Formats: sequence, structure tokens, C-alpha cells
Amino acid sequence: MWKTFAYSISLLFFLNFSLIQVKSQDTISVPLKVRAGIEVSGPAIYYSDKNILNAEGYFSVDLNEKRSVILDAGYLNFKYSQYNYSYLNKGSYLRLGMEFNLLKPDKSQGRYWAGIGLRYGLSRFTSVIPSFQKTDYWGITTSSIAQKTNWGHFLEVAPGVRTEIFNHLSIGWTVSLRLLLYSGTGKDLRPVYLPGFGDGTKTITTGMNYFIVWNIPYKKIQVILKKEVKEETDEDSDSDANSTTGNKSIKSTSGNRQQGTIIK
Amino acid sequence: MRKLIRVSLFIIIPGIFIYLGSCAPGSCFEETECYLKASFYKSTVLSTPDSLTLYGLDRDSIIYSSKTGVQPALIPLNASTESSKFVIIINGVTDTIEFRYSSYPHLISKECGYTFYHHLDSIPPFTKHIIKVIYLSNPTITNLNVENIRIFY
Repeated sequence: MWKTFAYSISLLFFLNFSLIQVKSQDTISVPLKVRAGIEVSGPAIYYSDKNILNAEGYFSVDLNEKRSVILDAGYLNFKYSQYNYSYLNKGSYLRLGMEFNLLKPDKSQGRYWAGIGLRYGLSRFTSVIPSFQKTDYWGITTSSIAQKTNWGHFLEVAPGVRTEIFNHLSIGWTVSLRLLLYSGTGKDLRPVYLPGFGDGTKTITTGMNYFIVWNIPYKKIQVILKKEVKEETDEDSDSDANSTTGNKSIKSTSGNRQQGTIIK
Repeated sequence: MRKLIRVSLFIIIPGIFIYLGSCAPGSCFEETECYLKASFYKSTVLSTPDSLTLYGLDRDSIIYSSKTGVQPALIPLNASTESSKFVIIINGVTDTIEFRYSSYPHLISKECGYTFYHHLDSIPPFTKHIIKVIYLSNPTITNLNVENIRIFY
């Protein structure tokens, strides 16, 4: 009987202590948002070069304070000509993936984003080579390649930053590194320009996107903050041992940084 | 004020990258010509003819005119026909070779544009005044420096 009573009291103390510890941890309220953005460098480039029109927008939803799902969609109208050939390509593309915010919640506050996006891209395009010429020993050979629709596939890694400049309005940019998986055209007639990817004659391309984004918070979540503790030196340990102020730090037993400083 | 500077930098720095990227000029540095590469052999040994003359049948212009040290010979095929016939004079003895092939367009690069690759259908028929055997080593004719046939004389 006494054993049961003692066990119950111990359990009560333990639960009470745990509850106090949870309550004593710092939390922050982080808004989760849905975002809709437009890419602005495409129209800006079109203003100076009428041969390439790229219109792109994106939609993303925060899953938590770190991760969000993103869907990019765009349209490309590309014309290119030089001394021996001309090339036309129209198409649309989708990029679906995840974005990871590398900022801590107390820094990002749901307003700032610095992180990396990983996406799978799918491009549907219709290309035609109205004419090309080849001059050699036998004279000039003129030919053309008929219009054909193809599907291209690629992967994209896109680190970048985004910041809220006004309420519900952000700007940001990403640098993209893209890997072509399949151009859909075979190795002889690779696309001169693949919508959403860039130069289709290369396996890896880079790009840069510039976004204006409209944010709408849809939910708030409480996030427990993880604090860094300064690594203790021997001197600190000694001074702690001799301290009479009553302040205590949790010591790192593994040598790594641990979370939480409890001040009694 | 500091915030304004930060925001300005946030906009300007990537803008500079976009501008520089969009203005990069493109030049063609790749080989754009696709020749059939023919190596010359005497018995089983690689052997450069003392003199080589080569021209397309019924063509006025000559590809090689009594040229020495040709190894391999670079033979241009006509992309607008399915066969090309050549007159070849090795060390003063004349033969003819007819190449039968299919041609297809190939994009070299955005800067260099398109060329024609060819695929030889069979071992080319030839007259046997000095040429003994023709060996087909690689039927695909591209802009790469790869031997396509061996001419034994």
C-alpha cells in the first residue's frame, strides 16, 4: 500500500515537472501562408528582345514553418534565327516540388525566406525549323523540319531569398541549376530552347528568376524555439561549480551544442 | 535609410546577373562539316599514298589534286541525294567509288546550327584497278574525327 502511494506521488511529481518544462520553453506564433507569384524578368527581357517571351507564375502552400509545396507554371514563345537556320518553339511547362526555408522561425517570422527549392519539371513544346541551309562541296542544300510536339523532363535545384516588403507582398529571387533528364526529341534534333529549362542542347543549365509574390496567411502555428547554448569552457565549468548565484546551465555531455538554457 | 539600401541591393544584384547572362554573345567553336573519313592501307599497314586526286563524278571542282600526305581523306557526301560517286586516283591509277547512304539533320549547337549526318547503307561498290578491298569500319558519318572506311590498295 505504501509502495503504491509512494509510486503515485513520484509519478505526480514527474508529470508536474515535465509540464512545467514544456510550458517554460519559448514558443513563437508563425503564420502559414499560401502564395501566388509572378516572374518579372521574363517580361522585362521580352521588352528588350521580342524573340523570347517567357511568362511564369507560381503557387505555393506552407506545410509547416520550414517546408512548402510549390507549383510553377509558365509559357514560352521562342524565335531564333541566324545565318544558316531559323527555329520556332512554343510551349508550356510545369515545375512541381518542395521549398525548404533555412531560416529559423524567430528570424523568418513568416515574412522572410532564404532556402532552397527542389523541383521536377515537365515541358510540353511544339518546335519547327522552317528552313536551314548547308553549304559544302556539292553546293547549297536547303531543308526544313516539320512541326512536332514533344515532352521534356528535367530536375531543378533553386536556392534563393524572399522578403516581405509590404503587408502580404513579397519580392524574391532564385538561382536555378537544372539537369535535363530527357528532351523528348532524340539526340540529333535536341531543342534549341526547352520551355522551363533553357538551352536544350546542354545537359545542365542555369537561370535566374525574379518574383513578386502575394501572400495570404491561412493558419497560425506555435513553433518551439530551439536556443543555442554557448559551449562551456573549463573555466566556465569551474566558475559554475563555484558559483553561488544559483544560475545553472545545462552541460553538454556529448560536446555538441544542446538546446535550452534554464535560468532558475 | 539602411533598409532602403538593403532593398535596393536585393533588387539590383540579381538584376545585374540577369543582364550579364542575357547579353552573353554566342560563337560557334565546333566542327560543322561532316566528312567520310577514309584511311589508306597497303596490305595490312597504314600507308599514305604518294599522290592522291579526288573529285566528285561530273563535278568541276577537285577535292584533292595530286596531293601528298593525305591520311585520312575527307570525302564530302551530297546530303540532297542518296548516293555520291567519286573518282579517286591513287599514285596515278584511277578508280571510282560509289557511296550509298541516308542523310539526316543534326543540331550541332545553338550557335553552330544544323548539319547533315549520314549513314552508309553498305560497303561501297568500287572499281578494282588499284583498290583491292574496302572495309567499312564505322557506317555513321558525323563531325567527329572517327574513321569510317579503310581503303586497301
